[in-house]
Amino acid sequence: MRSTFGYVWSDSPLHRMRASVKLVGLLVSVALVVLASAPLELVVASLAVASLAVASRVGWAASARALWGLRWFLLVIFVLNALLFSTVDPLLSLGPACLTWTGIAQGARVVVRTALVVVLGVLLTATTSPQQLTSGVRDLLRPLARLGVPTEVAALAVGVTVQFVPTLLREGRQLMRAQTLRCSIARHGGIMRCAVSYVQLLVPVFVSAFRRAEELSVAMEARGYRIAGRSARPGEERRL
Amino acid sequence: MNPVKSVVVAAVCAALGIVLPMAFHAIPGAGNAWLPMHIPVMICGLVAGSAPGAATGLLAPVLSSLLTGMPAAPILPSMTCELSVYGLISGALGAHVRTGRLPLDLYVSLAGAMLAGRLVGGALQALIFSSGTYSLAAWVTGYFVTGLPGIVLQLVVVVPIVVALERAGLVPPRYPEDASRD
Repeated sequence: MRSTFGYVWSDSPLHRMRASVKLVGLLVSVALVVLASAPLELVVASLAVASLAVASRVGWAASARALWGLRWFLLVIFVLNALLFSTVDPLLSLGPACLTWTGIAQGARVVVRTALVVVLGVLLTATTSPQQLTSGVRDLLRPLARLGVPTEVAALAVGVTVQFVPTLLREGRQLMRAQTLRCSIARHGGIMRCAVSYVQLLVPVFVSAFRRAEELSVAMEARGYRIAGRSARPGEERRL
Repeated sequence: MNPVKSVVVAAVCAALGIVLPMAFHAIPGAGNAWLPMHIPVMICGLVAGSAPGAATGLLAPVLSSLLTGMPAAPILPSMTCELSVYGLISGALGAHVRTGRLPLDLYVSLAGAMLAGRLVGGALQALIFSSGTYSLAAWVTGYFVTGLPGIVLQLVVVVPIVVALERAGLVPPRYPEDASRD
């Protein structure tokens, strides 16, 4: 089963590109998407992201899977903007909230921007293995090592974080299914009951995540990975 | 906790800081109210110390913003500073508060971190991010009223999770003599 934010095996130009270049590209793309406000700019940005999705060969379903998980969030953003952004020339007034064309346009803008950033994030993780990502972060942070920033540790932390996101999503889903089978998850019955159901999952999710962290750190140490102590000078962290 | 495990725990908590908000965003408006990203940051500070806690507070919002678009870019700097303070202070207090009772230690450290993070977050908003337009009312509303369910959630779940992690032997016990008696 493919999971959101997981690496997708394929041979595409994006897969072959250096991770550091992709990271810089992601930062620049996110900045451009955030700055885009005119409809034409957003259409161009959407086409550019769609062409990247095609070039990545990860498939439309894999690219859009994360958006489906955020559908309610995106809907709420749209509705709040449509109702609260402006009070000029209201199409409909509901107390302090006014449905306006300006609000609808702003809601659509924010939703499109968020969706594009999500798809860009998915494309990065789908075309970059955790090892490549760690190496890319290390390359980008290398100049900071001169200032005493522990770049090796930072790169490791970023790589492990991105690697764990799909794993934890998958485990969370499994725990949720297990709770559903035990009738502990409230699918219906209001937002409060739904939230309480999620809260009940937190302890097993954390215990499971920390168990994986324990296994990973033991495996890394068994393979000779060491991080120098506090007294070490910058750049002394090493892989044995 | 050894350095390798500290880094891995910080990274795993940062990953939880990305995953939990995604789950909570399935509930309309839940992100701002339930503050799901705060939980792994504070837990990391309490179990791994102030540096890993601060690192989690830095990594979680930045990577989440890049991968999922949340938090949105305009609020990312203030949220990153606030979360880093939560991790830093929970770790610092967790290392120094010793009352002899594990839950009390954790609640004191947690409450101190929650308060310090909100004070620093408000100060940064007033001085840098919303300079000239920020008021005491906006601070109280933004940090205490809107996020009240999140404050209650943190008080309810953080300490039991840390205790559960200690009992499972996944983090070093604060009072080894009590752990050996159990």
